[in-house]
Amino acid sequence: MNSRLFIFIAVIVSVLLCTGSFAQVKHGAKTVIKDSSDTEDEKADVELKSLVDAQYRNSGAGNSYTEAIFKSSRVINGQSIENIPEGVLEFRISHRFGELRQGLETSYGFDNATTRLGLNYGLFSWLMIGAGRSTFQKEYDGFLKIRILRQKAGEGMPLSVSFVSAPSIQTLPSDVLVPSGTTYNFRDRIYYTNQLLLARKFNARFSLQLMPTYIHYNIVTTSDEPNNEIAMGIAGRYKLSKRIALTAEYYYRLPSYRLNGYSNTLSVGIDIETGGHVFQLFLTNSADITERAVIEETTGDWAKGGIHFGFNLSRVFNVVKHK
Amino acid sequence: MPKGLLLGKNFSTLLYIMIRVRAYLLVSFLLLVQLSQAQTNNIYVINKGTVRFYSEAKQELISASSEEIKGAIDLGKKSFLFKIGIASFIGFNNPLQREHFNENYMETDRFPEATYSGKIIEDVDVSKNGEYDVRSKGKLKIHGIERERIIKAHIICKNGTIKIECKFIVPLADHDIKIPRIVMDKLAPDINVTVVATLIPNS
Repeated sequence: MNSRLFIFIAVIVSVLLCTGSFAQVKHGAKTVIKDSSDTEDEKADVELKSLVDAQYRNSGAGNSYTEAIFKSSRVINGQSIENIPEGVLEFRISHRFGELRQGLETSYGFDNATTRLGLNYGLFSWLMIGAGRSTFQKEYDGFLKIRILRQKAGEGMPLSVSFVSAPSIQTLPSDVLVPSGTTYNFRDRIYYTNQLLLARKFNARFSLQLMPTYIHYNIVTTSDEPNNEIAMGIAGRYKLSKRIALTAEYYYRLPSYRLNGYSNTLSVGIDIETGGHVFQLFLTNSADITERAVIEETTGDWAKGGIHFGFNLSRVFNVVKHK
Repeated sequence: MPKGLLLGKNFSTLLYIMIRVRAYLLVSFLLLVQLSQAQTNNIYVINKGTVRFYSEAKQELISASSEEIKGAIDLGKKSFLFKIGIASFIGFNNPLQREHFNENYMETDRFPEATYSGKIIEDVDVSKNGEYDVRSKGKLKIHGIERERIIKAHIICKNGTIKIECKFIVPLADHDIKIPRIVMDKLAPDINVTVVATLIPNS
């Protein structure tokens, strides 16, 4: 068990190291091309240029934080590395229709939808909090997302790291869950999701994110299922234009740390940004929206047509006036 | 007249002459040093500066500034170079606007800095305190696109420092920065830019 975990962590670290070194090589090459083709630099006084460049570098001006690694606070189903800025309130409407294979009878899933309404707020530039209610199992959820490291545009930090903790409570009547007469404690309704988000913007278009995830169920359906679930997520974004991006997200559940009878979650979508709105339209095999349900309890199977159309709407409001 | 007094007078005259000579030597030496310094110290660098821009559109006034401007002037060659990181601009009406500025308009990932380099047309004597209106001719590079510009500047020379005050317009179309139709009333096509910078001799 421990050796598996070790291998798992080793793989993450090696992937990160590879991507980091790859990016540095590319960055170097890019600078060289820029310098040689720059007509302004050829004519400008070389001495003056080196002087100003040195000052510019020393001031750290070219070394600001990388912004907009992803467009929205969620990639598709799961959290993205992005925090809502300080003093900004985000209202999110998340919607998943039923399976497409249900066909015309339900208007390709239109009739069976799950919804989550959520509010997020940026308390500090490094801390974002949020809460929501979703229709699946009448679940309430809250989360906090903390920035640990931030990628920088120049030299220095090659990636951003954030931590997400998202507990949730389902509030189904207990007689639905267990035979009447059986005790069903409040604590049995609680789920804990903890994620580390490791993201890097490789260039203006392409960003990648890894999400090692640990989910704890206080109670699981059968005794042979583990209470601690471990999954590894990978998500990417590729910008097609300034306002439209392709997104994809996949969660792989470790075989001995997962619930039985569910699928790994794959989602592909597009982000469309118009001013203060972000529209996310996608296809996913998960019908649900809270983390534990998305990652651990996905029922659909892409190969069998268990695909849902879904969308997220995000609207931001500036609550605190900035100077 | 006592001999001693005469000697004393001669001595004092000698001393006086010696002091004069020494003082002269000292002064000329200092002058020499200063001259040679002036020759090597033709380069002035920005000590402190602010770049501010504002867009006055029908529905919205947007303004942001940065104090991260770096630059130098070579008074011998009358050439200059100014440089600023686009990501260093702060202000705006809200954080999202700043993100849009970097992501959608300036494309800061691809074009992280703006530069202005060229020559000063008029002569400026910085050794004397005074104010000058000069013209600079150079290449303004914003959003990766270079434009030949003549930009006027007001220069104040005071005690060996140079203060530059400068105001110009950047037409967004000149630098291939497109305004989506939906924000036509919120973003001006011509952006006003002001630069205030103090330069000191490069040490």
